Amino acid sequence: MFFCREDQHLLAGMAAMGKRGIPSGCHGGGCGVCKVRILKGEIDTLVMSRKYVSKTERLNGVVLACRTFPRSDIRLEVIGKMSKNVLKPVAKKKYGFV
Amino acid sequence: MSVLRIGHINIRVLDMDAAMNHYVNVNGMVKTHEDAAGNMYLKCWDEWDKYSVILSQSDTAGMNHIAYKVSSDAALDDYKKSIAEYGIDVVEEDAGVLECVGRSLRFNLPSGHEMRLYAEKEFMGTDVGSTNPDPWPDGLKGAGVHWLDHALLMCELNPEEAINKVAEATKFMIDVLGFYLVEQVMVGPDGDIQAATWLSCSNTPHDIAFVGGPVMGFHHCAFFLDSWSDVLKAADVMSKNRVKIDVTPQRHGITRGYTIYFFDPSGNRNETFAGLGYLAQPDRPVTTWTEDELGAGIFYHTRELNEAFTSVYT
Ligand code: FES
Ligand SMILES: [Fe+2]
Repeated sequence: MFFCREDQHLLAGMAAMGKRGIPSGCHGGGCGVCKVRILKGEIDTLVMSRKYVSKTERLNGVVLACRTFPRSDIRLEVIGKMSKNVLKPVAKKKYGFV
Repeated sequence: MSVLRIGHINIRVLDMDAAMNHYVNVNGMVKTHEDAAGNMYLKCWDEWDKYSVILSQSDTAGMNHIAYKVSSDAALDDYKKSIAEYGIDVVEEDAGVLECVGRSLRFNLPSGHEMRLYAEKEFMGTDVGSTNPDPWPDGLKGAGVHWLDHALLMCELNPEEAINKVAEATKFMIDVLGFYLVEQVMVGPDGDIQAATWLSCSNTPHDIAFVGGPVMGFHHCAFFLDSWSDVLKAADVMSKNRVKIDVTPQRHGITRGYTIYFFDPSGNRNETFAGLGYLAQPDRPVTTWTEDELGAGIFYHTRELNEAFTSVYT
């Protein structure tokens, strides 16, 4: 749970409260790590990369947290991971970078 | 025939106005051209050719292509032949297909990244000119970057499936384009997997770099600054402009560069890179970083790879 001003995107709000939970990356809607699903509440969004949020996903409440501004209390679940391959759990890297 | 330097990079942006504000007011570049499709062309004050960055409106972030300037028009014919002989499809484009540029070659690196080679680009001159120049011009904005210095491309690396696009792209750059290896990271149980490389075609520690990741992509493009104090000031400019900084001023062990990693408003990573590090030479012994000291190679002070380095890119 964290407090987020209406003029802050969800990642900035989380960071300002010293909280963690949603993976934080580029803060530009380009890298996809901060992908979440909004379960409850009203939001406004800025343009975000289609590569990470398809039209269908968007209709189902999936957004990038760094492009999303709360307009009410929000409940969300984290989908994105600090790994480009979202199917693979984040484990210790076996080969330096991967 | 030889490759002279990185010529330009074509970056996809989600919001052109925000992107222009970033590249002009934060990085300190100037708009020099706009084409019929609305692509924006920018240059840094210390560059003499027409542009080094092309911004293209898109619904995804990332890189469309990276271009290198070669020594002569005839070199294009030679490269066309040697690229084709290497087994890579190469297309020759007429002058003007790339705006303000002579004929060019288009092909994909073994890693999948699109590359262009050209020999001529419209000349503009630097902002201080070439006759009795002052060391820097008045009226610079933001960080006032000097020139586009290099790019780092993420290449698929999956040793268990025997996929190593870092090694493949590196071999191509050396065997076909005449680059030489300056530094590398070797990983795996036997330390025989080439997981990252820094290559030069000039005398700087790198003109291009490749790092292994889960999927290919664009990691960053870097702009040159003179000194450590310029880097500090650039970081101030970024905070003032609420730019998302990934890694605050620090030194890279690899190349010895002074760096800041930060993001443009579409999430494409930029870097300000200062210091010449050392004089790179083809006969200088290749520097090798081992897996256990990899963190120090990338970030010399923290000696740790941050999670974003390998996960956050476009
Ligand atoms: S942090 Fe990169 S898309 Fe949100
Ligand atoms: Fe770099």
